[in-house]
Amino acid sequence: MERLNTILIGIADAVLWCRDAVVSLAVMVGHALDAIAEPVLSPLVAFVNPILTSIVDGVFAALAPLPVWCGLTLFSVLAGLLSLGVFRLCSNQVAISRALDDIKANLLALKLYKDELRVTFRCQYRIAGAIARLQWHMFRPVAVMLLPMLPLLGQLGVRYQWRPLHPGEQTQIDMIVDESAEGQGLGGLQVTLEADPAVTVETPAVPGDGKLVWRIHADRTGRHVLKFHVGDAIVEKELVVSDGFARVSPTRAKTDWTTQLLQPVEPALPETGSVRSIHIDYPSVDSWVYGSDYWIVHLFVVSMLVALVFRPIFGVRF
Amino acid sequence: MKRFRFTVVSALLPLVACALVFVPSCAREQQASSPKPKVIVIGFDGMDPRLCKRLMDAGQLPNLDRMRQAGGFKPLGTTIPPQSPVAWASFITGANPGVHGIFDFIHRDPTKQCAPYYAAAETTEGEGGWEVGEHKIPLTFWPFNHEPPKTLLRRGGTPFWDYLDNAGVPVWIYDIPANYPPSPSKHGHVHCLAGMGVPDLLGGYGTYQFFSEDTLVSKSEGGGLRTPLVFSGDRATIRLVGPENTVLQHPTATHVELEVFRHPTDAAARIDWQGRTVVLNEGEWSDWQRVEFEMEMPQFLPNRSVPGICRFYLQEVRPNFRLYVTPINIDPTDPAGQKISEPKDFVTEIAEELGPFPTAGFQEDHKALSNRVFDDAEYKRQADYVLTERLSLHDFAFDRYDDGLLFFYFSSTDVQAHMFWWDSDEKHPVRSAEDAKKYNQVIIDLYRQMDGVVGEIVDRYGDDATILVMSDHGFCNFRRQFNVNTWLRENGYVKPDDCRSLINPARRPLVDWRQTRAYGFGLNGLYINLQGREKFGIVAEADRDTLLDEISDKLLAVRDPVDGQPVVATVYRSDEVYSGPLASTAPDLIIGYHRGYRASWSTTLGNVSKSVLSDNKSAWSADHCIAAEQVPGVIFSNKPIRKLDPSLIDVAPTILESLGVAPPSSMEGRSLFSSDAEASAKY
Repeated sequence: MERLNTILIGIADAVLWCRDAVVSLAVMVGHALDAIAEPVLSPLVAFVNPILTSIVDGVFAALAPLPVWCGLTLFSVLAGLLSLGVFRLCSNQVAISRALDDIKANLLALKLYKDELRVTFRCQYRIAGAIARLQWHMFRPVAVMLLPMLPLLGQLGVRYQWRPLHPGEQTQIDMIVDESAEGQGLGGLQVTLEADPAVTVETPAVPGDGKLVWRIHADRTGRHVLKFHVGDAIVEKELVVSDGFARVSPTRAKTDWTTQLLQPVEPALPETGSVRSIHIDYPSVDSWVYGSDYWIVHLFVVSMLVALVFRPIFGVRF
Repeated sequence: MKRFRFTVVSALLPLVACALVFVPSCAREQQASSPKPKVIVIGFDGMDPRLCKRLMDAGQLPNLDRMRQAGGFKPLGTTIPPQSPVAWASFITGANPGVHGIFDFIHRDPTKQCAPYYAAAETTEGEGGWEVGEHKIPLTFWPFNHEPPKTLLRRGGTPFWDYLDNAGVPVWIYDIPANYPPSPSKHGHVHCLAGMGVPDLLGGYGTYQFFSEDTLVSKSEGGGLRTPLVFSGDRATIRLVGPENTVLQHPTATHVELEVFRHPTDAAARIDWQGRTVVLNEGEWSDWQRVEFEMEMPQFLPNRSVPGICRFYLQEVRPNFRLYVTPINIDPTDPAGQKISEPKDFVTEIAEELGPFPTAGFQEDHKALSNRVFDDAEYKRQADYVLTERLSLHDFAFDRYDDGLLFFYFSSTDVQAHMFWWDSDEKHPVRSAEDAKKYNQVIIDLYRQMDGVVGEIVDRYGDDATILVMSDHGFCNFRRQFNVNTWLRENGYVKPDDCRSLINPARRPLVDWRQTRAYGFGLNGLYINLQGREKFGIVAEADRDTLLDEISDKLLAVRDPVDGQPVVATVYRSDEVYSGPLASTAPDLIIGYHRGYRASWSTTLGNVSKSVLSDNKSAWSADHCIAAEQVPGVIFSNKPIRKLDPSLIDVAPTILESLGVAPPSSMEGRSLFSSDAEASAKY
C-alpha cells in the first residue's frame, strides 16, 4: 500500500509540474501579447468607447418604455445575426461542410457497423480528426467575431451586471493609489472626497495597503460626479443613484485596454496622477432572466437560437 | 411526411398552451372553493405565564388578552426538567422524555464513565481513510467505503409532522429546537429550518472571537476566544479561527488572516480579507460577511474551502483597539455539506430571498455579556439585531404560507430573559437596583413587541386558521446556585473528600470512581454510579432504591444557610416520571429547585466547588431549570382551550386534530380543544 501511495503521489506530482509549466507559459505569452497590443489597442478602445456608448445609450433610451430584458434580447438577436454575417464572410464554408459531412458519415457508419471492431475504431478516429478540422476552421471566424463582441459585452455588462445604488443604500468606494504614492506614505498624500448633496460620506477614508476606502450613503437619485481631491489634483468618478434601470460605471482606471473594454463608460484616469483606479461597489442585478451573470447566458442562448434559425438564410453551416 | 408532422405539431401547440393556462387556474378555483385547514403555531421560548397575566391585566398585551377573553389562555405544563431541548422534544413527539431520550442539555456516556455530549445531537468520528503524508482522506466509494465524520440527531420518537407528511399536509417549520440535523421528510411535504442545536462553524454552540490591544495572552473563555492584537503603525494582522481540518491525521484549526487598518486620527478602521473590505466607525456593526476557510489537502488535490458568515463589531479604536467577531455561522447560501434544513436546499432558498442570515442555534451572544466583552447596552443591541433578523424570517415565512402547518420560533423571549429578567427588589447579581429595573423593562417591552407580532397574525388570518401561541417553560430569578457535586462530596457520596472535579484534568484531585456512589451531571441530573451501567460503577442494583430514597430525602432537607429557605422543591425519580423505550438512559434523579435557586455553573460539567451554596455572580441572572411545577409555560389560542390542565405534550395532538389527522396512540397528550370528559370518551 505504501509503495502504491508513493507511485500515485509521484504521478500526481508530475501532473502538477506539467500543469504549472503550462500555466506559466500561458501567462508569459499573455503578458508578451499584452505588451505588444497595449500601445495599439488602448488608443483604439479609448476612441471607440465613447462612440459605442452613445449609440448603445441611444438604443436603450428608445427602448426605455419596454421591459428591461427587451434591450438585452435585442442585442442578443443582433449578436446572433452579426455572428452569422461574420461566419458567412470569414469562414471556409467548403472545408466546414466537408468536416461536418465527414462527422455525419462516420456516425452513420458507427451505427451500421457496430459489430465490426476495426470499422468502429476507424470511424472514431475519423470523427476525432473531423472535429479537429472543424475546430481549426472555426478559429478564424470566431477570432474575427470577438472584435465586435468584446465591446458589446462591455456595454451590456455595465447595464446588466450591476445596478445603480438605490436611495438610502450604502456602499464602499475604493481608491487604489500608485506604488510611488504609497511609498511616500498615504498620510502624506492628502486625499479628500468633496462633500456632495447626493451622498453622505459615512466614514473617513481609511488608508492602508495602497488603498483608501470610504463608506458612503446614497441620498439623491441622479447621475452624480464625485470629486476627489488628491494632493493638488482633482479626480472625478461617476456615481449613479436610481430606483430604475440605468448603466453604471463601477471602475475608472488608468489606461489598460482590457479594463477599458469592460468598463467603457468613463475615460481612463490620467497617466500622470497618483490614482490608479477608483471603484464603486455597486450591487449586482437580481434577476434570473437578465441579472448578474445570467445576462451572459441570456445573450448566449438567444444569439445561438437566432443563429440556428437564420442559418439557412445566410447559407452558413457550422 | 415532414409537412404532415409540422401540421400536427402546429395544431397541438395551441391545445397544449390552453391546457397549461387553464388547468392550473381550474385547479386553483377548485382549491378556493374548499379551503384547506391552517394551523399556525408561534413558539416563544421561555414566555412566562405570570408575567403575561400581569401585563394582560395592565392592558399591555392587548392581542394576547383578546385570546384570553375568548377562553384561549392557560399555563402550559412543562417537562421534567423544564429545559428547552427536553421541552421542545416533548412538544415535537407529543410524549414524555422517556420516549425521545432527551433529559438535559448535556448527557454523559456511562460506558466511558462520564464523557459528556450534547443531548440532542452527536458528532461521530470518521472511520478509515487513505493516508497520504499528513492527510487521511476518506474514500467513501466502493471498495473503500470509508466513513466520514457524521452528525446524528439523537432525539428519539416520531416527530408529529411525520404524520402530517404521510397525510400530504404541507408543513413549514422555522428554527425549531431539538431537530438538528433535521429529520428527513418521507413524502416531501415538510420544509424545516433547524434552530437550537445547530452549531457554529467551530462545532460549538457559539464561539465569538475578540481581539484587543489590552489582551496579553490568547485564551479560550467559555464560549469565546480572546486574542491579543498588536499594531505596527496603524496596521495589525489578526487570525480568525475556523473549523478544524478533519482531513489531516492530526486535525488542526484553519485560519483566515484579516488585515486591520486603523485610521491615523479618526475613530474608524478597515478590515480586509480575501479580497473583501469592511469600513467601520467606532461602535458600528458590519453586515454579515462571508469568510472562507481553506482546508489544506494533499498537493495533488485542490484545497477545499469551507465558507462561513460573521459580523464585525468595532467596539473601540483608541486607546484600546477592540474588535468583536460573532460566532462564525454556517453560510446559508452554501452550507458546505452541513444539513441544517429539510430539504437540504430550503436554507439556500431562504438566503436567496433574505440575503445571508444567521444559522447557529444560539444567536444572542450572552456569553460575550457574561465574559464582559459586551456591556449590557451592547448585548441588548446585539440581541435586537437577532430579533430584527428573526422578524425578517417571520415575514418570509408568512408570505410563503398558504395552508397546513406553520411553526415559527422566537428565541429572544428566552435568551433576553436569561440576561435581563429580574422581577424582585432583591440585590441583582451584577447590576445596581436601578439598572436591574431598567433592564427588566427590556423584557416587558419585548413581550409587548411579541404581542404586536401575534396581533398581526390574528388580524391576518382571523378564524381561518387555528392559532396557537406557546412557550416551553416560564422564568424566574436566579439568585443562588447549588453545587450538587459539592453537596454529594460533603455527604460522602463523592470521593475523595478533596475531590475538585469529575472529569476536568485541570482540576485535581479528580473523583475516585471506585469509591463514589453518586454524582451530579447536567443542569438537573443526578446519577448513581451503578454497577453494570457505569464503566467503574460500584453501587449494586439491589442497593439502588435505598440509595435514591436516601439522597432524595437529604436533598429535600437542604436549607440555605443565609435565610433558611428550602433549596430543593421536588426530587423526581426518573423511573417514576418517565416511561418509554429510552427511559433507562435518564439520570436516576431529577432535582427540581425552588424559584431563585439553580444548579451551579461548575456542577453542570462535573466540577466540585468549595461551597455547596453560593451567590450567582453572573449576568445570566434568570433561569428556569428548576422544579417543573414552578415554571410552567404558556398557551394561547384563538379558540377556547377546554382541557383543564394542558401540558406541552398536548400541543402535537391538537395540531394533528386541527389538520384532520388522527393522533397516533404513541402520543400521550390530548387535544387542547376537547374537554377532559370528551377526551376520555374519544380515546
